[in-house]
Amino acid sequence: MNAYTPKTIAQYLDMLKDALRGADASLIRDALYDAEEYLRSELAANPGVSEAELLAGVANSYGAPEEVADIYRDTEVTVQKALTAPKKPAQASAFKRFFAVSVDPHTYGAVFYMLLSLATGIFYFTWVTTGLSMSAGLMILIIGIPFFILFMASVYAISLVEGRLVETLLGVRMPRRPLYQAKHSGWLDRIKALFSDSRTWLSLMYMVLMLPLGIVYFTLAVALLSISVSLIAAPVLWWLVQLGWVSFYGDANISMGGLNPAVASPLLLLAGIALLFSSLHLMRAIGQWHGRFAKHVLVESGAD
Amino acid sequence: MNEVDPLVRKFQKELSTGTVSFLLLAQLAKADAPLYGYQIAKQLEQDGDGVLSGKQSALYPVLRSLDAAGLLQSEVEPSVAGPPRRYYRITDFGREVFSAWRSTWQQTQTLVNTVLEGAPQ
Repeated sequence: MNAYTPKTIAQYLDMLKDALRGADASLIRDALYDAEEYLRSELAANPGVSEAELLAGVANSYGAPEEVADIYRDTEVTVQKALTAPKKPAQASAFKRFFAVSVDPHTYGAVFYMLLSLATGIFYFTWVTTGLSMSAGLMILIIGIPFFILFMASVYAISLVEGRLVETLLGVRMPRRPLYQAKHSGWLDRIKALFSDSRTWLSLMYMVLMLPLGIVYFTLAVALLSISVSLIAAPVLWWLVQLGWVSFYGDANISMGGLNPAVASPLLLLAGIALLFSSLHLMRAIGQWHGRFAKHVLVESGAD
Repeated sequence: MNEVDPLVRKFQKELSTGTVSFLLLAQLAKADAPLYGYQIAKQLEQDGDGVLSGKQSALYPVLRSLDAAGLLQSEVEPSVAGPPRRYYRITDFGREVFSAWRSTWQQTQTLVNTVLEGAPQ
């Protein structure tokens, strides 16, 4: 078969041991015991056949050493999975967890969502107020009702798109498919379903609410990031000016409660770093909160 | 051929994972006397080719786990030929489980045959 065929049972067992190298010691012992039992029994059952002849045939009955090793390893994995409880993730220190926020992709998703929410908020709000007022205005004409229905359908479609946005940036599982509509239900039934679903109306509310939320999110994100970045940048710049590597036309000065700038600048730097990471924590938390809120309003509220 | 081969092996592996315990239990339910690993393997080999051909080593770990689950009972007896042999016999619980598995198997068999009927070769 492979490199060479074993000539004696001891050789076969050695090859099996080799093939199982690195596996659990008890697994190796079991596998060797089983193989030895099988081979010795085979030998006893076929008197007059030499060990070498017998082992040549074993590849087709018991399996070649490599195959046997694979089988035992597979079985062991299955058994181990069933036996062991899932491991708890190691608890990191508070210090580590504070800075780990900067490597969590959800943090940046949340920051980006907060910056984006001003734009989406303005769009949603405009869409809803325009749609609603035009529907109201057109009600006296025959096209008023179909316009309103189309508008409400668009609200439903936008809520699906917002769901995709929330899932991508905030990491909250949102539906990828629209609500199931029975295939043979008429268009009247579908319209009835659209209007009787509380989620359609809640989506409308969500879209209106996104303007104030978007303003708050955007302002918070911009303010927190710029304050902490300037706190970090100011002492660095001050030192660069002192060292003569950078020059300003104006005067670079740091004043903090009458402290010497040389003492104040490292304090400012530390404060900036602390504020930056705290802001990242806050924004990640806001992102998580908004994700839950969006899921509740757009998906869960009317679910049967 | 080369594209089909790995898929055939995968199918065989999945089938044997699902049927080995059942086959072993059936073999031991039929037996009048307790059997040891080698005898069970040889009997299965005589009964024909199939998912287990060339993979008799797969039986031993399964025998152990059936034993641990209480479907089989085992005792070790010394032998002249080699290491002491572990003899397995089916327990009452094992028979109960076997008859339940058997009806599951029969339903599955009927289903597979019905679906296969009329499928082109």
